[in-house]
Amino acid sequence: MKTFLMTTAATLVAGAAMAQSITVGAANVSDYLDPGRDHSNVGSQFYYNAFDTLIGRDHSKLEPEWVPALATEWMLVDDTTMELKLREGVTFHNGEDMTADDVVFSLNRMYQATFPPYVVRSRDRLGNFVEAVKIDDYTVQIKVERPEPLWETLISLQQVMIIPEDYTKALSGDPEVAEDGDYEAFSLAPVGTGPYAISEFVPGQKVVYSRFDDFWGDLAPLETATVIRIPETASRITALKTGEADIVTNIAPDQLDLINADPNLKTEGSATALFHVMIMNVNHPNLQDPKIRQAMSYAIDRDLLNEALWLGKAVVPSTHTMEEMGALHMPELTTFEYNPEMARQLLAESSYNGEEIVFDAFPVYYTNGVLAAQAIMEMWAEVGINGKLDVQDGWTGGDPEMMARSWSNPMYFADPFGSFGVMWAPNGPSEGEGRFNTDEEYAAIWERFRFSTDVEARKAAYAELMDRIKQNPPVLPLYRPFESWGMQTSITWKPQPGHIPYVLDFRAGAIALGDS
Amino acid sequence: MTVYILRTLLKMVLTLFVIITLVFFATRLTGSPLETFLGEGLTAEDRALLIEYFGLNGSIWEQYLRYLRGVVEGNFGLSFLERRPVAEIVAERVWPSLQLLLASLALTLCVAIPLGVLAAIYRANWIGSAIMALAFVGYAVPNFVIAIFMVLILAFSWNLLPVVGNATWAHFIMPTLAMSGVLIAALTRFTRNAMLDVLGQDFMRTARAKGLPETVVILKHGLRNAGVTVLSVLGLQIAGMAAAGNVVVEAIFSWPGIGELLVSAAITRDYPVLQFGVISVAMAVVVVNALTDIAYAYADPRIRLARG
Repeated sequence: MKTFLMTTAATLVAGAAMAQSITVGAANVSDYLDPGRDHSNVGSQFYYNAFDTLIGRDHSKLEPEWVPALATEWMLVDDTTMELKLREGVTFHNGEDMTADDVVFSLNRMYQATFPPYVVRSRDRLGNFVEAVKIDDYTVQIKVERPEPLWETLISLQQVMIIPEDYTKALSGDPEVAEDGDYEAFSLAPVGTGPYAISEFVPGQKVVYSRFDDFWGDLAPLETATVIRIPETASRITALKTGEADIVTNIAPDQLDLINADPNLKTEGSATALFHVMIMNVNHPNLQDPKIRQAMSYAIDRDLLNEALWLGKAVVPSTHTMEEMGALHMPELTTFEYNPEMARQLLAESSYNGEEIVFDAFPVYYTNGVLAAQAIMEMWAEVGINGKLDVQDGWTGGDPEMMARSWSNPMYFADPFGSFGVMWAPNGPSEGEGRFNTDEEYAAIWERFRFSTDVEARKAAYAELMDRIKQNPPVLPLYRPFESWGMQTSITWKPQPGHIPYVLDFRAGAIALGDS
Repeated sequence: MTVYILRTLLKMVLTLFVIITLVFFATRLTGSPLETFLGEGLTAEDRALLIEYFGLNGSIWEQYLRYLRGVVEGNFGLSFLERRPVAEIVAERVWPSLQLLLASLALTLCVAIPLGVLAAIYRANWIGSAIMALAFVGYAVPNFVIAIFMVLILAFSWNLLPVVGNATWAHFIMPTLAMSGVLIAALTRFTRNAMLDVLGQDFMRTARAKGLPETVVILKHGLRNAGVTVLSVLGLQIAGMAAAGNVVVEAIFSWPGIGELLVSAAITRDYPVLQFGVISVAMAVVVVNALTDIAYAYADPRIRLARG
């Protein structure tokens, strides 16, 4: 009888918990939802609840710890082939069973991309991946061109989350053929295997997650989670106060006290795995002398920016590294530092004659972006750099006239390749825009960094790359901004350290609701 | 008359052509859409691929001609982001905006006309002065200031009203008040002035001399005559409001309307949505104007003759 009562009580408690729903007020909601096509900060919020990768990761831990997801086992068959056993009994939100066909389809839509948005996403991070091959209904092999040191990392990317083949192909045109129109239609009616199905999607306005009862893992703790767009910060905070929202995103540091002052509300935050950076055009006629760019970097007191603008909550790096990168986290390197004396000396030795150096900044895109830029102008003036701030909405990174500007460099996945690597590869985006040059030596170091299977060799190569950046700087990471979420005190939620930035993780174990 | 209508229609088509052209080139002055779509950093090769995919290839004139050809065929293009017809996207947003506009209109009429009439009748004492003082203040305060103040007091501090979206009638209160502030102020002043003009007319004295009660004199003889002027002014105000006035209010209250859509499209540089959104609003104003012209012509042969 006692057992019966306890079971009943437990069932009741579980039942109560199961009935719970929340509303999230987000500054932005995606205009489309396709994990393959997207790598925006806005989009990153939405995929993890509804989609799975083959290999998962324990997101409660900072250090990578790989766990089975849609694949239960994986092993290298040879240097360039990995074989994965698929989980059986996995169902998509539309009721289809997941088999090797779906996996091969999902992976090859990226590995052998023809749809232009996929081509772009695939090239910068999946270039080494040749194809996925079906062995039997629950076994697939993935083949790479060169031995891959980052197998698990690159198989657990958002871009290679698994989607259903038949459903997608039938969305437009010929149901037997994957056309561009299918992928475009998919992004308005996305279907995955995650613990929540996307039961309603109004582009740019609303995403509704509903618990998916046939999920293969621990069932979702929430019955529904509705994310709505509330673009104005003041309105987001008010919505939290009025109870219209249970969680709100993108709260600026100076608004935290306002929320925390209310006994029913609280905030959670973390230093985002993303750098706000200053980029410098190495090919601008007035900036070709590396000493000028070194001086531009040495002049900036990033700790002061952190104290003044982020209340000391941001993280100022000594090199282009993040602790999420595990063995490849290299805080021992000093690539970037504040040294106004050095800046003055370098300027004196350089060809600089007081020419105006224009710094372009977006008006609102980066929190504190314009304030930081204004402070940088003052810091430059201190050492004798004649800076001029140009606040404008357009992207000038590809303009040969651009001298310096604000940008951000996210960590797309937990490896230096996923952060510095994507942006500063030979022939990568920065070189492609003509503001960064690489040579054979850089490319050779790059190769060792990217493809060495020995971690120490990769670290040594990365240190060499950082030294190249220090000697002839095209970039200065300012800090990892501190991102905050406001919520009702009855909610237990915080950003999990193992995720890429901005992920709203409402899976089992990541969120709990009190008895409100 | 047929000639007159044809002429009006031709004028309308020409106006639309000019608007489409202006909007097409103006949106392209706001910068490149590529970075905002695909995050930071694109190689030259990727850029070329996407330029082709989004139909941004070729010179701006070629793009313009392609766009015009599409417009003639009734195809205003696909949203860069959502990849579905822009007409569909804009259509979803029209009704919420219209609802807000109608609510504001109703409130404005109910408040401004009585206030204006009172201000005219009591022009010589404190009631008239107080109403006019209020009207001046209302006219001077922008709608977003009213909106923010209401949000702070009615929602943030007192938690009386919701601030997000348009789900229930309670959601309409603050946005409607915010939208109506300036309209009420303007219309009160116009009503007062129109009434003052009418009150001095001979037929008003005649009406009183007949021994009619004062209310009947004011409402039946006075307001009815002042009403013509008032309504034409109101039409102009609404056209302005439909075009631009609700952008800020919609953003503050996360109202899923067309103003809010235009702002997001401008931020993400979703040219096709922005173009069609602006063209739709302009089209609404042009069509209303044309209908007004035609209606005037029916009502007043002198216009028809003078213009025809």
